Amino acid sequence: MTNHYIDFRNADVILNMGSNVAENHPVSFKWIQRAKDRGAIFIHVDPRYTRTSTKADIFARLRPGTDIAFLGGMIKYILDNTLYDEFYVKHYTNASFIVNPKYGFDDGLFAGYDPTKRAYDTSLWALEKDENGIPKRDMTLQDEHCVFQLLKKHYARYTLEKVTAITGTPQEDLEKVYAAFGSTGTPDKAGTVLYAMGWTQHTVGVQNIRAISIIQSLLGNMGIAGGGINALRGESNVQGSTDQALLYHIIPGYLPAPRAQWATLADYNKTTPASKDPRSVNWWKNRPKYVASLLKAYYGDKATKENDFGYAWLPKLDPAQDASWLNLFDEMYKGNFTGFFAWGMNPACSSAHSGKVRQALAKLDWMVNVNVFDNETGSFWRGPDTDPKKIKTEVFQLPCAAFLEKEGSISNSGRWMQWRWKCTNPPGDARPDGEIIYELFRKVQALYRAEKGAFPDPLLNLKWDYETNGKFDVHKVAKEINGYFLEDIPEHPVDKKEYKKGTLVPSFVYLLDDGRTSSGNWIYCASYTEAGNMAARRKKDDPTGLGLFPQWSWTWPVNRRIIYNRASVDLEGNPRNPKRALLKWDAENKKWVGDVPDGPAPPMGTEGVYPFIMKPDGVASIYGPGLKDGPFPEHYEPLECPIEKNIMSSQRINPVIKIFEGGPDTFATCDPRYPFVCTTYRVTEHWQTGVLTRWLPWLLEAEPQMFCEISQELAKLRGIANGDKVFVESPRGKIWAIAMVTPRLKPFVIAGQTVHMVGIPWHFGWLHSKDAGVNANRLTPTVGDPNTMIPESKAFMVNVTKAPKEPAKKAEKAQRR
Amino acid sequence: MSGVTRRDFLKMSAVAAAGFTLSHLGFDLTPIRAYAAELRRDLRIKDAKETPTICCYCSVGCGILVATDAKGKVINAEGDPDHPISEGALCAKGASSYQIAVNENRLTKVRYRAPYSDTWKEVSWDWALDKIARNIKKSRDKSFTEKNADGKVVNRTNGIASVGSAAMDNEECWLYQKMLRALGLVYIEHQARI
Amino acid sequence: MADKSFFIDTTKCTACRGCQIACKQWNMNPATKTTQRGSHQNPEDLSFVTYKLVRFSEFEENGKPVWYFFADQCRHCLTPPCKIVAELHSVSAISQDATTGAVLYDPKVKVGEKDFKAIREACPWDIPRWDDKTQGMAKCTMCVDRVKEGLLPACVKTCPTGAMNFGDRDAMLAMAKGRLEQVKEKHPKADLLNHEYVRTIFLVVDEPRKYHTFAVAKPETVIAALHESNVLVGS
Repeated sequence: MTNHYIDFRNADVILNMGSNVAENHPVSFKWIQRAKDRGAIFIHVDPRYTRTSTKADIFARLRPGTDIAFLGGMIKYILDNTLYDEFYVKHYTNASFIVNPKYGFDDGLFAGYDPTKRAYDTSLWALEKDENGIPKRDMTLQDEHCVFQLLKKHYARYTLEKVTAITGTPQEDLEKVYAAFGSTGTPDKAGTVLYAMGWTQHTVGVQNIRAISIIQSLLGNMGIAGGGINALRGESNVQGSTDQALLYHIIPGYLPAPRAQWATLADYNKTTPASKDPRSVNWWKNRPKYVASLLKAYYGDKATKENDFGYAWLPKLDPAQDASWLNLFDEMYKGNFTGFFAWGMNPACSSAHSGKVRQALAKLDWMVNVNVFDNETGSFWRGPDTDPKKIKTEVFQLPCAAFLEKEGSISNSGRWMQWRWKCTNPPGDARPDGEIIYELFRKVQALYRAEKGAFPDPLLNLKWDYETNGKFDVHKVAKEINGYFLEDIPEHPVDKKEYKKGTLVPSFVYLLDDGRTSSGNWIYCASYTEAGNMAARRKKDDPTGLGLFPQWSWTWPVNRRIIYNRASVDLEGNPRNPKRALLKWDAENKKWVGDVPDGPAPPMGTEGVYPFIMKPDGVASIYGPGLKDGPFPEHYEPLECPIEKNIMSSQRINPVIKIFEGGPDTFATCDPRYPFVCTTYRVTEHWQTGVLTRWLPWLLEAEPQMFCEISQELAKLRGIANGDKVFVESPRGKIWAIAMVTPRLKPFVIAGQTVHMVGIPWHFGWLHSKDAGVNANRLTPTVGDPNTMIPESKAFMVNVTKAPKEPAKKAEKAQRR
Repeated sequence: MSGVTRRDFLKMSAVAAAGFTLSHLGFDLTPIRAYAAELRRDLRIKDAKETPTICCYCSVGCGILVATDAKGKVINAEGDPDHPISEGALCAKGASSYQIAVNENRLTKVRYRAPYSDTWKEVSWDWALDKIARNIKKSRDKSFTEKNADGKVVNRTNGIASVGSAAMDNEECWLYQKMLRALGLVYIEHQARI
Repeated sequence: MADKSFFIDTTKCTACRGCQIACKQWNMNPATKTTQRGSHQNPEDLSFVTYKLVRFSEFEENGKPVWYFFADQCRHCLTPPCKIVAELHSVSAISQDATTGAVLYDPKVKVGEKDFKAIREACPWDIPRWDDKTQGMAKCTMCVDRVKEGLLPACVKTCPTGAMNFGDRDAMLAMAKGRLEQVKEKHPKADLLNHEYVRTIFLVVDEPRKYHTFAVAKPETVIAALHESNVLVGS
């Protein structure tokens, strides 16, 4: 999130698209309601009419997987009707930047496509620089190669007629949404966007977000109170676990994971983002300080200048290696791993194509499964249609403490790092994850110390001293993440002040690249300082009156509550909307008042800096040349789709997605055997695979069994009545569900053809309760977004049939299965 | 009078609303006997210790106050009214937090499933962690790759993968990735990818 | 402590069912075995162990879906018919708290099935429930144990959106009437259900029966019934 949950209340128009906020982030609806009480317009765009839609002032229905068409139409509408914020577009975005004349777009393909590699030569899309290396601009926005003109040209094709033909959304609904959201393009109005997996779980997932980024940049909605692009993340600490880099492609603080081509730290640092524009802060230029400080947090005293701070000990990916989720399980399926940790995860249910995952787990020698409850992953060897006697995998199931049985911090979607206190002891032998990790690694270290083994250096040199009186101490880790001064610093280059060895670094501004500071994660530097544990703060002052609560918990970075907030002021530093003043330049005292600004530099008009300090060019990217699938979002059909031809171009699917073929990976497009679009989702009463919630009797009582939502029209077509047992089948698997026949789902008319849709929740699994049902991901395909490899679980094809009536006894047996 | 029906009640209510009292109808309503359990019983969290925490489900980050009795057992869990985001509110999931703590289905023992076995066996922490450490070493030593096909140094363990976990606290996540990267893993993924 | 009331603004309810579960939690009421029947409403109905239930009602109108949520519970009548009938049947399970006005059932008091049926039948909102094992009756308690300590009822405390409200009766009536005024602009059919008679005041924007069969006791029925009978005679 650029903004935060309470900030929803400051919006004039709220667009909830690609998520179901009332059902999946229920308490945040408090702040939407607060905005509505003030007269704000709440829009819900979704394939299904949900609990969220019931509260919407405007509801528009679209076919799953057509968001870019919908948003492309909005871009066109904003441009055609001059609804954009001209000042903002000119000064705070790259609309005026000139693009390489070799950039082009023709019939669904951008310039530079190589069909044999299924990849683009993205260098053809680069921004033009002048002789000083500064981006060329045309502030009149008239140059035919400037971003603004290219944008106009690209989206001129997204007419209402075409958008309706693709999305199935009636034109009048499109216009209602476009007009309402487009009304926020003035400085006195704020429009915010709330999205979730409904946008990310597509083969065009990143481009869905890009499309809304363009819209929010055009409307001047980034960096302001009541604006922003707000990912409603699915788990209480998935923001934190991402920040801490439990992902293959990054190390903590969003630093790129080392690769083979960067043999030394110097090579690695050569990839640091650079800008020659003196007015662009380009904050990432500081990256070498963060890497050095991280390595010091990893290896302590063993990391020295002479040994590159231990950089060589870090594992390196191959130059173009993608070790992300779908590839991970593909490798496992091929038998390339002997060991596996499923730590606080249930991939046998949560992974796309979970049937493949279950087969993959059987190819391991051993698996460690840590959880609060038993789950379909840890117990995969005793699952349905599985003979334990044929499965070699040795399984360790370790019981861990639940959230209220341990101490530590979690980061919500608004980047609020909140401390949790321990409320009670874990039951039986269960222990906090931290303790388990701490002890396990000590045992591995001891083995290597005693017996040697392959390259023991990174293991034996690792700093692993997070205990107090012989017990794991989470505060020591929290402090390590923040970072220490490792030497006395008589005069710090930043403020000329003295800092003592062993004290906590006040903020990442003080981190150094010479080994004199440590920080386990630079974006969390300032979270645990000599002033104490910032995440544990509970003061409720609200000086701006905007609900920032700067002394409640702590927000990364440096307690900034709304990022890119310099875009909320004009060139002189005055709030563009004085009624919701997020930031104001106090010219007399030469300082900013309000939220923590994006850097202390004075306003842009007074020899200051561009507002988007994390972007190399200092401005918001309407044009985004850094992605694999194009600088502008373009509509492509999902891998599995109901129509033969993409209405926008000859490219039916995203031309750069990786196609997994063979073995269990099968797909079906426009296949009469699988005629219906299917989408997966969650309901309020359960969470993720149900690994927690299915075990809680009150929640299971409220949502007891797998169901399948279908329209009355589809029910009629298939002879299904409400409450009937049905089968839902894709090329990957077949599951049963109870039909929920509802007027809330409607068939779409897509290019004159009727397309039916099926909706299924993914909370259920065979293990518990016994009659709860089967897991929805048995049906989803192995295919992902080309940039992130997030699976396309929101649009694929299935068939639905009424289950034959079973004799009573047999039915009972089937239920038990 | 066992035949008093809904409609009869409506008559009565209407009378009451019209300013009449039901005593006109011959019912004696005066003595209100406060014998119900609720009136006798004390607030069950009156002497409890309350500890603030944050909900474990979605990413809103609602505050929860967990009440424990003298023995430390959870007896109630409800919204934290001081929390600026949730202001005491909790949805169905958050409101059921009590059943996470007090739940007979919780995993309370370390369990081990031997190859080809059809049952779990309860084991000790020490036994399990020793054996896991041994397995890690075996897999790592076997699959450790110093140089890739191009001869570049990669120092990685190709034979072990990990998924998890957004269910852990920040400090645990950081500690976990530190361990995994020290072991040389590159197949490190979790919920954020899916 | 003054006379208390709930105000339930259905226009703000998102059916998160926080209230339904918070009620179970506070009262330590067990879950019941349920099945998926083609609706999110579960358990299917109020019961001896379910005092608060979000009812889901969906239909189509002018080609558009309509989905109403009705967070059902005891109305805590000013003059509770269940109590009157109970007393007629010499059932001593029901009392009314003098200060809050809460109507309270003592689940430990055994009630015969016939007596219970009469009591349930007397309630126009179909609230009373009975357990055939313990023979006790139960329903919403207004969380009087919380209220007398200055806390909100569990269901109100947990509500994220302001659908559930609780306070002094005057204040709740004022809030309800104020909100009705606002809502009427967009929803001419909006109404407060039986607010003169009950301490749980629902605001709906459509015909009450579209939310729930027993959402309202119809005032016109009351008037008709009055004229039909001789209730007023002699008063």
